[in-house]
Amino acid sequence: MRHGQLDRSSFLGRALVASGAVTLGGLAAARERGAAAAPSREQDVRILNFLLRLEYAQMALYDAAVSAGALRGELREFAQVCGHHETKHVEALRAIVGDKAEAKPTFRFGEAVRSPGRFTAAALTLEETASAAYIGQAANLTKERLPDVARIVAVDARHAAWIRAIAGRNPAPRAADPAKTVQQVMRTLARTGFVEQT
Amino acid sequence: MSSKPDIVDALTLEDIDRDGALLEGIANVYGSSRAEFLRGAAFAGTAVLAGLALPSEASASPKQDVGILQFDLVFEYLQSTFYTQAVRDRTVARMKPEKQRWAQVLGAHELAHVAILKGVLGKKATKKPFFNFHGVTESESAFTRTAVAMEDLTVALLAGQAPRFSNVALTSAVFSLLTTEARHAAWARRLSGTRPVAAAFDEPKTLKEVGRVVQSTRFIAARPRTGRRGKPRYTG
Repeated sequence: MRHGQLDRSSFLGRALVASGAVTLGGLAAARERGAAAAPSREQDVRILNFLLRLEYAQMALYDAAVSAGALRGELREFAQVCGHHETKHVEALRAIVGDKAEAKPTFRFGEAVRSPGRFTAAALTLEETASAAYIGQAANLTKERLPDVARIVAVDARHAAWIRAIAGRNPAPRAADPAKTVQQVMRTLARTGFVEQT
Repeated sequence: MSSKPDIVDALTLEDIDRDGALLEGIANVYGSSRAEFLRGAAFAGTAVLAGLALPSEASASPKQDVGILQFDLVFEYLQSTFYTQAVRDRTVARMKPEKQRWAQVLGAHELAHVAILKGVLGKKATKKPFFNFHGVTESESAFTRTAVAMEDLTVALLAGQAPRFSNVALTSAVFSLLTTEARHAAWARRLSGTRPVAAAFDEPKTLKEVGRVVQSTRFIAARPRTGRRGKPRYTG
């Protein structure tokens, strides 16, 4: 139905219309909820492992780029600082998931760690993707896990803004950031070719 | 709600800004030649919504959700007024082009956030308070320093509140605002020569903690204040 048919005077009607318009985190979340069950501890493990994979990818990219030694100036500082943060994010997510935490996949970054231009593009893609992935999963997590992801996603968004600024792009291109579904995120990650088949 | 809606589709900017208040607000501050551009920037990527299936359990509108949104709205009023006041004081016009762009984009975003939260709250929207920035918006260095502190504080506020909503649609939406404010903070810090990210985690602040900080700035005035020349110094 069209939103016009909503009773706009009700708080919920407004909340859904306006919050929907914001992003649509609600959109992605609601779609995935169609397939996924309501929030549960089991689902948390699946979601957090999915987010952990993205943190592994970022951590590995920064570590490999710093080791390769091709970055200079602010870009090098960015890789060092963010590499440290992503390591902390990996540790935090692993601690929450416990025994069921997935192991770090093998990554192969190729030119992305040898050319500053390629590195910038790779970092931008991974940070934007991670940020959108967290937004997309917020509504699928149990309430007790939300504080953990809130303090991580804000930092990934800062990283995204920082690398965009270095790249000469608008660090905050939208008034409300978009959400991405698991499927969209996995497609983007596959397209980078960074994850080796395991 | 009289009937349970299943799907909302093709929601556009015009639906949020039906009466053009946001466009008019931006035009008043930034001039009409920039208004469309900035409104576009504010809403890029958010214009079209197709097929939002409403989570069925989101059938309540608990008081706590409303309370959090009302607090967030006051904070967004504060931010948007802060940036627009710096434009009115010509402080933004005196800055370098890159910094001008930053102040304008942030101002437009905060106006958009006000419009979004007012839309969500409807009749429960809090009225805009009076503000007095005590000259902070008149000097570039004071303005920049305060902007950095304010953006970092917003991140802490939303990191603390985003997880608390009962309505999951609100959780998602406020996460989108949280990451946007985090970008603002990083951008502001970089322009002021500070590392954009201070730590591996953005620690949350409670409403009480944020309220105390806001109170200590004395930016929210009890009533309009008249300045030396008889011109009101408040904005609103």
